[in-house]
Amino acid sequence: MIFSKKAPSKRIFFATDIHGSETCWRKFLNAGKHYEADVMILGGDMTGKALVPIVSDGDDRWHASLLEVGHQMTGEDEVVQFEDSVRRRGYYPFRTDGDELQELERDERRRNELFHKCMLDTVERWMRMADERLAETSIGCFVCPGNDDQFEVDDIITQAKRVELAEGRVVELGDFQMASTGWANRTPWDTYREEDEPQLAERINRVVSEITAPPERTVYSFHCPPYGSGLDEAPELTSDMRPKYAGRSSVPCGSTAVREAIEEGQPALSLHGHIHEGKGSTRIGRTLSINPGSSYEQGELLGAVVNLDGGKSVKRFVLTSG
Amino acid sequence: MAATAASNTPQENLFVRKATGLLRGWSVRDAFIYAAFSINLITLGLYIFSFAPFIPDGSLIWAIVLSGVYLVFQAITYASLIAAMPRAGGDYVWVSRVLGGGLGFVLACTGWWFILWHWVPIYANILNIEVVAPLAAILGLDSVVAFFSEPAGIFTASMIVAVLASILISLGMRTYARIQQICFYGGVVGLAVVFVLLLVNSNSDFISSFNAEAQEVLGAPGNAYQKTLEVGGLEAAGPTSLAIAPTLLLIPMIVFFNLWSNWGATLYGEVRGASDFRKNIYAMGGALIATTLVGAALLALISKTIGWDFYYAANNAYWSGLEGAPVSAWPYPGLLAAFFFDSPILQFILVAILSLWFFGWVGSVFLSSTRVVFATAFDRVLPEWAARTNKNGVPYAALALMLLPSIPISYLYAYTDDFVTYTLDATLVIAITFLGSAIAAAVLPWRRPEIYSASPIARYKILGIPLITASSVLFSVFLIFCLYKWATDDVYGVNNPQSALYMTILYVVAIVIYVVARLVRRAQGMDLKMVHGEIPAE
Repeated sequence: MIFSKKAPSKRIFFATDIHGSETCWRKFLNAGKHYEADVMILGGDMTGKALVPIVSDGDDRWHASLLEVGHQMTGEDEVVQFEDSVRRRGYYPFRTDGDELQELERDERRRNELFHKCMLDTVERWMRMADERLAETSIGCFVCPGNDDQFEVDDIITQAKRVELAEGRVVELGDFQMASTGWANRTPWDTYREEDEPQLAERINRVVSEITAPPERTVYSFHCPPYGSGLDEAPELTSDMRPKYAGRSSVPCGSTAVREAIEEGQPALSLHGHIHEGKGSTRIGRTLSINPGSSYEQGELLGAVVNLDGGKSVKRFVLTSG
Repeated sequence: MAATAASNTPQENLFVRKATGLLRGWSVRDAFIYAAFSINLITLGLYIFSFAPFIPDGSLIWAIVLSGVYLVFQAITYASLIAAMPRAGGDYVWVSRVLGGGLGFVLACTGWWFILWHWVPIYANILNIEVVAPLAAILGLDSVVAFFSEPAGIFTASMIVAVLASILISLGMRTYARIQQICFYGGVVGLAVVFVLLLVNSNSDFISSFNAEAQEVLGAPGNAYQKTLEVGGLEAAGPTSLAIAPTLLLIPMIVFFNLWSNWGATLYGEVRGASDFRKNIYAMGGALIATTLVGAALLALISKTIGWDFYYAANNAYWSGLEGAPVSAWPYPGLLAAFFFDSPILQFILVAILSLWFFGWVGSVFLSSTRVVFATAFDRVLPEWAARTNKNGVPYAALALMLLPSIPISYLYAYTDDFVTYTLDATLVIAITFLGSAIAAAVLPWRRPEIYSASPIARYKILGIPLITASSVLFSVFLIFCLYKWATDDVYGVNNPQSALYMTILYVVAIVIYVVARLVRRAQGMDLKMVHGEIPAE
C-alpha cells in the first residue's frame, strides 16, 4: 500500500563523487543520523582533482590563488583559514616556496608524488574521522572507490574500523545484499579504474555471481551509470575537451555492461554516480536506478534516501541536496 | 595513467590531475548564440515592437536601449547564481535551495510550466504573421492566408507549434543544439540581407516598391502607402524622442523581447574559476547588448527607409483593426524589405531564411518546462512517472504534460475572445518567477553563506555589498516596476479582474499540487523536508 507509513526493513543513504570535499565528507558522516538511515553508502570518487600551492613570501607572509582569485595572507591563522576553504572545495592545499614551486612545475613525477601523498593522507584522516564519529552508532558505512581513486585508497579503507570497503564484493545490508564496483568504461581522461566494456562486463559478472539473495533483496552499487538511462547524460566534448555548443549538446556516456547487468539481474535498486550532471532516477525493468549527481565544489552533499522493503519494486525514495 | 598537469585550467597557480570531468572552457561564442536566440529580435522583438503605437509618445529605440543596458544586471544576477550553484537546474532549484522548496515549486511550476501552455498560441501567432501568411501571400495562396487568420487557422498553427516543439525536444539535445546553430547562422544571413536592403534603398524606393508589391502580393489597392498613413496615422513621437515618461512606459512592453538572456546561461566542467563567471556575463550580457544594438539599428533603418510614420500607422491599423486599411496583413518588416525584390522567388527565399529565427527558437516553448518537470519529479513533488523517458531518451511524460494542456488552451485562445487576454499574463508570470530568483540571489550570501563563500563570486563586491546582491536588487527594482505598471496601467491589457483571477487560479493549483505531494510523501515516510534540508557538517 503506497500510502501507508510502513516501516522499511532497511533505509539507506547513498552519496557519491565527493572528490576530496571536506565539507561533503563531514556531511556524509552525519547523514545517517540526519536521515535516520540504517546504512550509508559512498559510491566512489572520494579523491580530489587539484593541488593548491600556498607560496611563502618570507616574514610569515604567503600568497595563493583559488578560483582565479589571488589571496595574500599574513600569519598562521590566515593561512589555516585559507587551507580550510581549499579543502572545503575538494582541493588539496600545500605550503611551498617559490623554488619548490618552480621545480614542481617542471617535474611531473614530483607533482604526482605530491598529489598521491595529499590524496592518501586525506583519505587516512577521513577514515580516522569516520571511526570517531560513527563509533557510538549502529549505522553501517560502506565505501566503494571510483574510477578517479587510485588503488592505495582501498588499503586505507580496509584498515578503518567503522567503514567497510565494498569494491568487488557482495556485502550484507541486513536482509539485503549489495554488489559493488567502482570501475567504469573508458573515459577521455585515462583514469585509474577504467577498462573496455567486455572486461567491465566480466568484472561485474564476477561480483554479481556471488549474490545469493533474490533480486528484490539485491542492490547493485556500480559507480558507472547504465548506458542510455538518462543518468549518464554528459556534455558532448570537442576533440580539445571543450563542451560542444556551450554544453547544450549532451550525450549518453554510461556503460553498456552495467545496463546489461541490470537488465539481466533486475535488482531492486541500482546506485550510480560518475556523471555529475546526470542527477535523476529511472526504471530499468523492475529496477530503480539512481544517480544523485554531485555538487561537491559547492559543499553540497547530493544524495538519495531509499527505503527498501523487499517488495516487487522500490517505491519510497527521495533525492536530497544536503 | 592519471598524470598531473600544471595550470592546464583557467586557474593559474594550481595543479590538476587527469580526472573525470575536467574540461577546458566552453565557447563564449556558442553561449552567445543561444542567448541571442532566446532574446530573438525577429520573432519576439519585431512582434512586440509593433505594439509600440499604443504608447505613441514614447521612443521605441530609447526604450530598447535603456532596458537592454539595464538588464545587464539580470545577466550578472544569473551568471552569479550559476557560478555559485552550477548544475543546479535553474530558477526552481535556486529558489528551492535558498528560499524553500514550496516557494521554488510554486514559482517554477507557474512560470516555467503552466504559463508556457499559454505561450503556444503566442508562438503560433508569430508563426502565422511572420512565416505562414507572408510565404503563402508571396506564393499567391490567398486561401491559406485567409485560413490562418481565422480561429481554425490559429488553432492549427498552435498545434503545429506544439508538435514541432515536441519533435525538436524528442530529437535530443545533441540534434537540437545543431539545428539551433544552423538556424542562427542562416537567420543572421537573412537579417543581414534585410539590413543591406534597408540601407541601400531610400524612402521613395520603398514607397514605389511597397505600392507595387502590396498590390501584387497582398491584394492592396493602389497607393497603399499613402492610404495606410491616412487610415492608421497617429501623432507619434519620433524613434529617438527624448520624452522620458512615455519611453519608460514602453519598457514593460519591451521586456516581452529582452527579458530572456538568462536562457543562454551555461557552466560545465570542474575546477573552474572566476573566468567562467565572467564568460557567462560576456555571453548573456553580450547577446543582450548586441541584440539591443542590432534592434535599435534595424528600427533606425526602418525609420530611414520605410518611414516611422508609416511603420506606426501600419501597425496601428493592424492591431486596432481599423476599417479602410489597404493592407490586412501584419506589416512584417521582413516582408516589407523583401518587397524591394521584384522576384517572388527572391521574396520567398528572404522570408524563408528569416523564418529560421522561428524554427530554431520554437523548441524553447517546451524545453525549459520539461526540465522543470524533471527536477520536480526527482524531488518527488511530481510523481516519478513525470520524469520517464523512452529507450531513445524522449521525455514523453514531461512532453505530454506540456503538449496535452496546450491543446484546450490553444482552442480557447483561437475560438473565444476573452481568453486572449489571459495569455497577456505570459510575460508577467515568468517575471514573477524571475523576481523569486532575484530575491534568492540577493539573500544568498546570508541564507547559504557556505555556498556563497565557496564560490568564485564571493570576492566581487561593490561598496562592500556582494555583487550578486547589488545586481539582483537592481534587477528586482526593474521587475517590480514592470509588475506595478502591468497591474495598474490599462495600456498593457493585463490589469483586468478576469486575468488576475485566472492567474491566481494557476498559483493556487501549483500550491495544491505541492501541499498534496507533501502530505502523500509524509504518509509514505519520505518527508519532502529531506530534499533541501541541510546536513550539519560538524
